[in-house]
Amino acid sequence: MKKITIIATLAGIACHVFITPVSASDTQIIYKFYCAQCHGLTGKGDGPNVTKDFPVSPRNFTDAAEMNKLSDADMKNVILDGGPSASKSPMMPPWGKTLTGEEADGLVKHLRTLCKCEGKKS
Amino acid sequence: MRALLTVTISATCLMAMVSVSKADPAAGQAVFKAKECVACHYTEGPAREKTIEDQLAKKGPELWYAGDKFQAEWLAGWLADPKPIRPMKFNSLTEENAGDHPALGAEESATVAEFLMSLTSGEVEAGTVKVKKNAKGRQIFTKKMPCSGCHQYTGRKKVIAGGRSGPSLVDAGVRLNADWILAYLKKPEVFKPVKMMPVFVGLLSDKDMANVASYVGNFKPKKKK
Ligand code: HEC
Ligand code: HEC
Ligand code: HEC
Repeated sequence: MKKITIIATLAGIACHVFITPVSASDTQIIYKFYCAQCHGLTGKGDGPNVTKDFPVSPRNFTDAAEMNKLSDADMKNVILDGGPSASKSPMMPPWGKTLTGEEADGLVKHLRTLCKCEGKKS
Repeated sequence: MRALLTVTISATCLMAMVSVSKADPAAGQAVFKAKECVACHYTEGPAREKTIEDQLAKKGPELWYAGDKFQAEWLAGWLADPKPIRPMKFNSLTEENAGDHPALGAEESATVAEFLMSLTSGEVEAGTVKVKKNAKGRQIFTKKMPCSGCHQYTGRKKVIAGGRSGPSLVDAGVRLNADWILAYLKKPEVFKPVKMMPVFVGLLSDKDMANVASYVGNFKPKKKK
């Protein structure tokens, strides 16, 4: 009996750790650290990497018209697997080995606050 | 007379070489401390950064594996005459690198370089990467992967191209050890557990990592004719 309780508690802790969404403030830190280099601190696509010879402009996350064309799933997919996974430029890196799925979910939510848009429902 | 001079000069050079190779890292370590380099750089591994905040709190890059990372000759020269490596100020996305790194005198540079070159991780296999004009590596660096999106390098017609958030890789072959570049790509958790650069483990094969390390390690200034 005791054993079962312990296992149940451990499982509970494990689930808790894995399912807890990443907080909005942690997401902001993640966004600034990884994404702002190209997409800019405010999401306008104007990070320090974007010089005049940058081959494609990184998505401007404040452009609601463009951002509305993407569903949340599209965004999560491109964040984890990179531009080529969605027939976009390889200059959009694959972050799947750097970020967790939960962190990517947090970023998708963050991008929705930047575009103030809901996106395509898929 | 001329022969005698040559002999004397060679002998002096030889003595200088011997004395350099005999110099002991502790002397450089003492200078490193006295010059307050420790205020911005740590020299004892393993990596200490666990979170993004830890990484952002640092005032300068970690140097505990400097002996794996750098070319000895470059290091001594740079310490005496430091030129910006990162286009942007360390840990900033908005300010330019002001190029205000403290410089050391020639003699101090040599002893400090000796100390820094003695710092190794034990995680770098020597002699695995052969630097060359690696077409496969070039393809990865400039097209297949976003490396050039964050790193400057010398592109076509010798024009400096590429992004500015990462350290410049212009002439990286003079500065960096290609075997370390491979190890850095293969084992990011050892050298930089928290970094702005994506993890490529599982995205690039070991072979392709070696190709890209070979390509970057071959970035060298064109010889003047
Ligand atoms: C090296 C520069 C770079 C970095 C760093 C970067 N991106 Fe991108 N991103 C791009 C580029 C360039 C595009 C546009 C690709 C295109 O239109 O072909 C893009 C496009 C996107 C898109 C739109 C994709 C689409 O289908 O239109 C999303 C969403 C996105 N990035 C999210 C992120 C997030 C989140 C991060 C941080 C984890 C990030 N990016 C980091 C360069 C970058
Ligand atoms: C105020 C903080 C500060 C102090 C003090 C300082 N450094 Fe640095 N150091 C930096 C920063 C920032 C960089 C990155 C410079 C660049 O990218 O151009 C750097 C870069 C370096 C590098 C190259 C490391 C790399 O990964 O690119 C070496 C080697 C180095 N410093 C040695 C020293 C030595 C030796 C001293 C003492 C004489 C010293 N530093 C003092 C901040 C400091
Ligand atoms: C999103 C931007 C980004 C991309 C993409 C990127 N890097 Fe980096 N790279 C950085 C940054 C920033 C650093 C400095 C350490 C850190 O914070 O990651 C770095 C460090 C390095 C270093 C060590 C340089 C030094 O002097 O310390 C090498 C070598 C390197 N990258 C090579 C590559 C290669 C090869 C690729 C492609 C397979 C690549 N990088 C892709 C941003 C990037």
